[in-house]
Amino acid sequence: MAKRIVVDPIPRIEGHLRIEAKLNDSNVIEDAYSSGTMWRGIEVILKGRDPRDAWAFTERICGVCTTVHALASVRCVEDALGITIPTNARIIRNLMNATQVTQDHLVHFYHLHALDWVDVVSALKADPKQASAIAQSISPWPKSSVGYFKDLQQRLVGFVESGQLGIFSNGYWGHPAYKLPAEVNLIAVAHYLEALDFQKEIIKIHTIFGGKNPHPNYLVGGMACAIDPNSDTAINIERLMMVKKIIDDTNTFIDQVYIPDLIAIAGYYKGWLYGGGLGNYLSYGDFPETTLADFKTLLWPRGAILNKDLANVIDVDPRDAAQVTEEVSHSWYTYSGGDNKGLHPWKGETTPAYTGPKPPFEHLDTTKKYSWLKTPRWKNHPMEVGPLARVLVAYAKGDPMIKDTVGMVLSKLEVGPEALFSTLGRTAARGIECKQTAGFMNHYYAQLIANIKTGDYRTFNSERWDPASWPEECKGFGYTEAPRGSLGHWIKIKDKKIKEYQIVVPSTWNASPRDANGNSGAYESALKGTPMINPEQPLEILRTVHSFDPCLACASHLFDMNGKEITSVTIV
Amino acid sequence: MKFKDINVIGLGNLLYGDEGFGVAALEMFREATHFPSSVHCIDGGTQGIYLLDYIESSDAVIIFDALIPLDYDRRVYVYRNDELPAFIHRKMSSHQMGLSEMLGIAKLHGRMPLEIALIGVPPRELELNVGLSTEISLLLPEAVEQAHALVDGWLSESR
Repeated sequence: MAKRIVVDPIPRIEGHLRIEAKLNDSNVIEDAYSSGTMWRGIEVILKGRDPRDAWAFTERICGVCTTVHALASVRCVEDALGITIPTNARIIRNLMNATQVTQDHLVHFYHLHALDWVDVVSALKADPKQASAIAQSISPWPKSSVGYFKDLQQRLVGFVESGQLGIFSNGYWGHPAYKLPAEVNLIAVAHYLEALDFQKEIIKIHTIFGGKNPHPNYLVGGMACAIDPNSDTAINIERLMMVKKIIDDTNTFIDQVYIPDLIAIAGYYKGWLYGGGLGNYLSYGDFPETTLADFKTLLWPRGAILNKDLANVIDVDPRDAAQVTEEVSHSWYTYSGGDNKGLHPWKGETTPAYTGPKPPFEHLDTTKKYSWLKTPRWKNHPMEVGPLARVLVAYAKGDPMIKDTVGMVLSKLEVGPEALFSTLGRTAARGIECKQTAGFMNHYYAQLIANIKTGDYRTFNSERWDPASWPEECKGFGYTEAPRGSLGHWIKIKDKKIKEYQIVVPSTWNASPRDANGNSGAYESALKGTPMINPEQPLEILRTVHSFDPCLACASHLFDMNGKEITSVTIV
Repeated sequence: MKFKDINVIGLGNLLYGDEGFGVAALEMFREATHFPSSVHCIDGGTQGIYLLDYIESSDAVIIFDALIPLDYDRRVYVYRNDELPAFIHRKMSSHQMGLSEMLGIAKLHGRMPLEIALIGVPPRELELNVGLSTEISLLLPEAVEQAHALVDGWLSESR
């Protein structure tokens, strides 16, 4: 009989992402269902508030990507009110955004995703001498001596012996789906610790420009930081030099640690090319060289790809009511005009209507409504968003830098571009994008310095700050390419207050349930066809879901005193 | 000086009722002005791993947070040092990188603070809503007082 695996984190509380996978008799995933088990109703909280405050609320939605919501929010309000921000503000926002992307990708790869490919316990058996030789053969990164790897290994052994490998006690160590030699595992564990240490530095750029971190300050009309090369308290020469140093170190770390690790690890897994999924990719684009409305100048280009057809990048307009829609045929909401009919976010509704089983329950009835996520579609197509989508759109459009990096990675791995349509391809695309975005940091730093040298210190346009200058009614769209994909905020303002606010986040695209036509979302589709070695330890499911870098529990940070078993696996 | 830098961190989501307890407690703590500038107040929001620096860079840490899986019982809990779980677990998303995970990494890095204390309450109402329930608000002074006592103790040890 067909088995059904349920992977559900934090079953005792509200949960966030639940995956149910149906296996056939040979343990291959026949079908999969992705369910967001928690309501994220920020739209309701924002109604009636001052639009200039919206960013500060949206920044609190999410514990991982605070700044991206602030950015999309100020952009949608500025779009509605017709505000053009000063050049410095545009550059600083781009720089902060690039900072967020690089830091987030580093943390994702090493902290969340690496352990899907790297067996920590196997590293204990590695030969430090050989590990050192391998590390030196793939990168000039200086921390690669025999002594370095020996020390680290001893520290790990110490933890295990003192019973503290409790720290890593929950992995699927020894799982046959792990393919790396012990020495590569040891190198990866070393870089896991180094990356977590290094990421603390990158984000200091947010503190410098945003005044504080976490929760840097944004401002409708520009940025709240003052620029004055000769002042002690403003963005001055000293602070700019600090930014430059961080950017240089970030580029070095990505070039000498992240990319070589990615290639080394992927080399052992290039026979595991499951998880491609939809083959439809969407990017709103980001990193404006002029204004957001002028989307032809975006450094990450805008476009859509259907059915893996890289020869044909289709134009995208998220303002068009016929293009971006959300329906709720399988989501726990109701629409006044019928649940199967997609609504553009400017006409969006957020009326929760839970009809699922009372928790705890064994499994969801996926023939009915089964998720708190709505179902976004582009021209009725389910789409994947995120690094792979951005890299493919840029690659298909012939972006020279992306073509170079993609070409370099593919040739080192000795695979063709079709390998990109996979879980591993998604993971590689994140690394490629991280390198590209670290390059953007250099670009924007140079732009900022050049602009300041012209004597332009402006960071804020106050023309429309006073609500008396606003129209009675207006609407706006703000977008950004967040680390996890295309993010859109749509706002309607009436009588100086927020009348409607709708957010379509990247993970709603990727983790969406089925639509009224029965089409699966990106996670659901990507899981289909994957063989499982041991359904009790669904490493393959985690690998593919993690490759999207899911972001769903945009709400909760409770401290679990028991907390040993956070992600439960049951087979029913 | 034994405790040169002391970080007081409030964790929680202000948009989710009593989930915001930690941040509210931090704001009340901040109002006490008698502490020297070596005591830093950090509104951590719902950030996880990104707060690692604030754990590793100081000599003593206090964390305010809402606690599970305890049931609401009108009291403030204080946990010290090894009473706090530290582990790196199997997880579905970056959202599950919580405090315990950070403590696990700080241990691996060999950079645990000398003292760490968690001051928390089990939440009463977890609903999408700005502001704490009345019952949980009433526990704020006690939580803040516990933190003051700990910080005072550490500071006097440092003299």
